[in-house]
Amino acid sequence: MASRMIGSAEGRWIRADLRARRGQALLTVLTVAGIVTALIAAATLLEDGTNPWRGLFERGRGAHIWLHTKTVPDVSALKSLDGVTDVAGPYHSAPATLAADRGRKVPISLQEAPAALPAVARPLLSEGRWLDVRHPEGVVVERSFARAIGLRPGSPFTVTGLNGATHTLTVAGLAETGDQGFYPEWAPGLAWTLRQTLTAVEPAPGRTETVTGLRLADPGLTDLIVQRAVFTLHGQVQRVTTWREVRAAMELDNRLLGLLLGLFGVAGLVAAALALANVTGGRVLTQLRDIATLKSLGFTRGQITRMLLVEHGALGLAGIALGVVAAWLITAYALGESGVTPLSPGPHAAITVGTALVVLVAVWLPAWRGGRTPPLPAVPAAPPRGRLSRLARLALLVRLPPALVLGARDAFTRRTPALLTICGVAIPMMMITIGLGCWATLDDFIRHPEGVGQAAALAVRPADLTAEETRERVMADPDVVAAYPGAELDALVPGQTRTVRTRALGTSADPYPFPVAEGRMFRDRGEAVAGQGLLDLLGARVGDRVRITIGGTPLIVRIVGRVIEPEQDGEVLSLGIDSLAAKDAVPPRFYGLVLRPGAEPGEARARLQAQGLEVAQAVNPADRLAVIRVIIVALVVVLALIGLANLLTAGALGLRDHVLDLAVLKAMGLTPRQVMATLVTGTGLLAVVGVLLGGCVGALWSRALIDLEGRHSGVGAGIGRAPTPGMLAAAIGIAIGAALLVALIPARRAARARIPVTAR
Amino acid sequence: MTTTPAIRAVNLVKIYQSGRGLPVPAVRGVDLTVDPGEFVAIMGPSGSGKSTLIHLLGGLDTRTSGEIWLDGKRADTLSESGWAVLRREKIGFVFQFFNLVTNMTVADNVELPALLGGASPRHARERREYLLGELGLTDRAAAAPAQLSGGEQQRVALARALANQPRLLLADEPTGNLDSRNTRDVLKLLSRVHRQGQTIVLVTHDARVAGLADRVVSLLDGEIVDDGAIVRRRGPGGTAGDVVELRG
Ligand SMILES: Nc1ncnc2c1ncn2[C@@H]1O[C@H](COP(=O)(O)OP(=O)(O)O)[C@@H](O)[C@H]1O
Ligand SMILES: [Mg+2]
Repeated sequence: MASRMIGSAEGRWIRADLRARRGQALLTVLTVAGIVTALIAAATLLEDGTNPWRGLFERGRGAHIWLHTKTVPDVSALKSLDGVTDVAGPYHSAPATLAADRGRKVPISLQEAPAALPAVARPLLSEGRWLDVRHPEGVVVERSFARAIGLRPGSPFTVTGLNGATHTLTVAGLAETGDQGFYPEWAPGLAWTLRQTLTAVEPAPGRTETVTGLRLADPGLTDLIVQRAVFTLHGQVQRVTTWREVRAAMELDNRLLGLLLGLFGVAGLVAAALALANVTGGRVLTQLRDIATLKSLGFTRGQITRMLLVEHGALGLAGIALGVVAAWLITAYALGESGVTPLSPGPHAAITVGTALVVLVAVWLPAWRGGRTPPLPAVPAAPPRGRLSRLARLALLVRLPPALVLGARDAFTRRTPALLTICGVAIPMMMITIGLGCWATLDDFIRHPEGVGQAAALAVRPADLTAEETRERVMADPDVVAAYPGAELDALVPGQTRTVRTRALGTSADPYPFPVAEGRMFRDRGEAVAGQGLLDLLGARVGDRVRITIGGTPLIVRIVGRVIEPEQDGEVLSLGIDSLAAKDAVPPRFYGLVLRPGAEPGEARARLQAQGLEVAQAVNPADRLAVIRVIIVALVVVLALIGLANLLTAGALGLRDHVLDLAVLKAMGLTPRQVMATLVTGTGLLAVVGVLLGGCVGALWSRALIDLEGRHSGVGAGIGRAPTPGMLAAAIGIAIGAALLVALIPARRAARARIPVTAR
Repeated sequence: MTTTPAIRAVNLVKIYQSGRGLPVPAVRGVDLTVDPGEFVAIMGPSGSGKSTLIHLLGGLDTRTSGEIWLDGKRADTLSESGWAVLRREKIGFVFQFFNLVTNMTVADNVELPALLGGASPRHARERREYLLGELGLTDRAAAAPAQLSGGEQQRVALARALANQPRLLLADEPTGNLDSRNTRDVLKLLSRVHRQGQTIVLVTHDARVAGLADRVVSLLDGEIVDDGAIVRRRGPGGTAGDVVELRG
C-alpha cells in the first residue's frame, strides 16, 4: 500500500484528507480523465483520418509485400524465407473493362479470392455478402472504387475481357482492403471474384497474372525480404508493391488538421495543468493552519511536500488511468463500430506520459509551497478590515445595495487569490474563444469557398467529347456562370527530387479567381502564384523567378503573388493555361465551373452528368476538417468544466476568509439574502472580469493563432477568423451566467448556515 | 546541580521585522534553565514575549541570537527539519487554540505523533487508547475535532502532545480559551503528568494556573524580571494553587 511506502503518518493524513473531500477529489479525477479521454479520442480520430491504412491493414491482417508474377511461384520457398510469417495466395488476377453508367468504360483488375475469407490479406466486407460458390456471378468490389463508380450490392457488373466477350455479373458486396490504395489515386479499381468466374472472363492463362502476398514479422525488413524473394523466384517477379506505397497512397496530407489538433492538445494540457494547480493550490491554502500544526508535531518540510505531492499527484494519475480506460472503451465500442482502430502505441504513450508530467509539475508547485509553511500555527491572517461600516454607510447613502458594495470591496482585498481566480476563469475562456474562432474559420470555408480557392464548385472532364463541345454544353447550363480551362501537371522544381503540383486554370487575360493573400494575381504569360507550402519548399518569396520542368519542357515563371492553397499542403503552383507549352495546354484537360451564387452544386453536377460529362465536385477543406468540430465541442465542454471548477475553489476559499466577516455582517443586520448577495458579488465580479478578459484576448488572438497554424501547414496566413460577434456575445453571456450560478452554491450554503463566532 | 538541564537558554534574542521595516524586539536576552522534571510557569502581560519565547524553545520560530540547549545538546543551530525531528521525539506542544488537525478524527490526531516517530500502527493505537482512556475521551475517538467542546479539544491536544512520551511539554496558554470547569480538568491533568516526572514549561497570565508550577518566571517587554520558586502552604481543604507565595 502507498501509505506503507511513504510512512504511515503521512498515509494517515492523506487518507483523512481524501475522506474529508471525497466530492472534490472525484471531480479532480474526472476532470483529468475527461481531458485525457478527449486527447486520446482526438488523436485516434486524427490518426485514423489521416492514416486509414493502418486500421485496414491491421484488421485485415494485410500482406506487407505483394509479388506479381507471370506464373504460380514456389509458395513453400517463399514461406521458408526468414521473416515471412504467412503467405497470401497465390491468386490469379486479370485485367478487364467495366461498363459503367452512361456508356463509360473503366479499366478494372479482377482478382481471384476463395469463397471462405482467407486468414491473411482478408478483404473487410463492409456491405452485402462475400463470394459464394452457389452464386458464381457475384463479385465483391473494393469500396472506394464502388463509391466512385456508383456501385452498390445488387448493381449489375458488366465486364468485358481482353478477348472482347462481355459477362454480366452482379455486385454481391463491397469490401475494404489495406493491400491497395483508394481509387482513383490507386488505379485500376479492384474486384474480387471466384476462380471459376475469373477463368470465364479471361480463359487465356497467358493473359492472367499471379499475385502472392507475404506477411512479415518485422515490417522494417521489407526491402531485404523483397530482394530475397525476387532472388528466390529467379526473375519470375514482374512487379512488387509494398505496404509503404499503399500507406503513402492512402495517407491524407493534411498538415492543417494535425496542427489544429496539436493546438487543441496543448490547450487541453494547459487546461489540465491549470485545473490541477488550482485545485491543489486552493486546497493547500485552506489547509495552511493544519499544515502548520503538522509541522509543530514534527513533520518536516520534505514530508509535507511529499505528502501533498502524493495525495494530489495520485488523484491526477488516477484521472489519467481512468481516462486511458475510458478512451479505450470509447475507441473499442463507440468508434470501433465505425471501424476506427485504436491509437498506435507511440502517440498513446506520448499523451499518457505528457499528461503525467504535466500533472506532476502542476501539483508540485503548490505542494512545494505548502511544505514551506512556517510551523507557527498563526492566527489566520485576516484580510484588511475596518472600513467596513463606513463603506456600508456610504453605500446606503448613494442607495446602492450594501451587499454589492461589500462584495465588490471583498473581491479585491486579497490580491493574489483574486488574480488567481481571474486567471483560472480567463485562461479557459480564452481557449474557448480560440476554439470558437476555429469554428468560425471552418464556417467561413463553407460560406465562402472562393476564399480557399474553390470558386469553382465543379470540375468537368470532357470524357468522350471534344473540349469545345464540353464547353458549349457546360455553358448552356443555367447555373454555370463561367468555365475556366484547366490542366493539372506535375512539375520538377530545382533542388527537389519529387514533383510538385502545377495547376493551370484560366488564362492570363482571364484568370481564375484565386484567393490572393499577398502580392497580386498573374496578368501575363510567365507569371504565376503559389501557395505558402511551395514558397517554403523552394525558399522563395513573392517576386522571385523559379525554373520548373513540366513534362521535359523547362519553364521560367515569376511568382507574383501568394494564394490561400488548401491542397497538397500548399505545395501548388498556379498559373494561366497560356503559360504552358501548347502540348500541355491544348486541349484543356478539364474546365473549372463557377456556379451562380446560391446554386446547388449537387444538382448542377447531376444535370451535367446526365449530359454524359464526367463531373467532380470540390471537397471543401472544412469537410475534411470536420473532425475538428467534434473536438472543439468536446474541448469547450471540458474547458468550461475546468473554469467552473476553478470558480468553485475560489468560492470556497473566499468563504474561508470570510467566516469572521460573515458573523460581523450578520451582526450588522444584513439579511441572509444580503449576505448571499455579498458573497456572490465577491466571486462573481472576479468571474466576470475573467470571462471578459479571456473573451477579449481570445478574440484578438484566435485570428493570429489560426493564421500562424495556416502558415505552418502550408495553406498560408489569411484564413483565420475571429469568432462572430454573436457567437462571442453568446459565449460570454453563457459563461457569466454559469459563473454566477456556480458562485451561488457556496454563498447560499454560507448565508443559510448559522455562523458561530469562532475563536480562531 | 549536576544533572543536565532539560532546557538551557543563553542570552536568547528575537527581533521581528514589523510591516514597516521597524525592528520589534519580542525577546531581549533571556537566560533560562529548566531542570528535568521541573514545572515552570511563564507569566507576563499580553505582548511581553511569552509566546515568542516558548516558540523559540520548541524551534517553531528561529532565534535572532543566543543559544538553546535541550538535554545538553545545542539545538538553536539545527535546520528546520532538524528541529522537526527533535520535536517529534522530544517535545510536545499544546496551544491556546487546540490546533487539532481538522480533517482527522480524534483517534488519528492522537496516533499521528507516534506514527510519525516510527511506531507501528498497532503500538500507536494502543498508546492512543491508553491516553484517551486516561483523559476520559474513549467514546469520542471517532469524532471529528469540530464536534468536540473546547475543553474536550484541549484534552485531545494534550493527549496528542503526550503521545510520544516527550521529555518536554511546552504549553502556550492552554487554558486561555476555556471556561473554569474545563480549565480545572486540564490543570488536573497537567499536575498529574508533572507528578509522573514530566518536565513542563507553561505560559499563562492566570495566577491560579501559575500556582501549580514549581517555579514562576515573569516576563516584561521580552526580559525576565522575576524568577522564583513557589512555596505552597496547604491550608485545610485547600487545593493546590489556592495560595501563591513567591520566595526569594
Ligand atoms: N510574527 C510577528 N511579527 C512581528 N511582530 C510580532 C510577531 N509575533 C509577535 N510579535 C510581537 O512581539 C511581541 C511579543 O509577542 P508575543 O510573544 O506574542 O507576546 P505574548 O504571547 O506575551 O502576548 C509583541 O509586541 C508582538 O506584537
Ligand atoms: Mg501569546
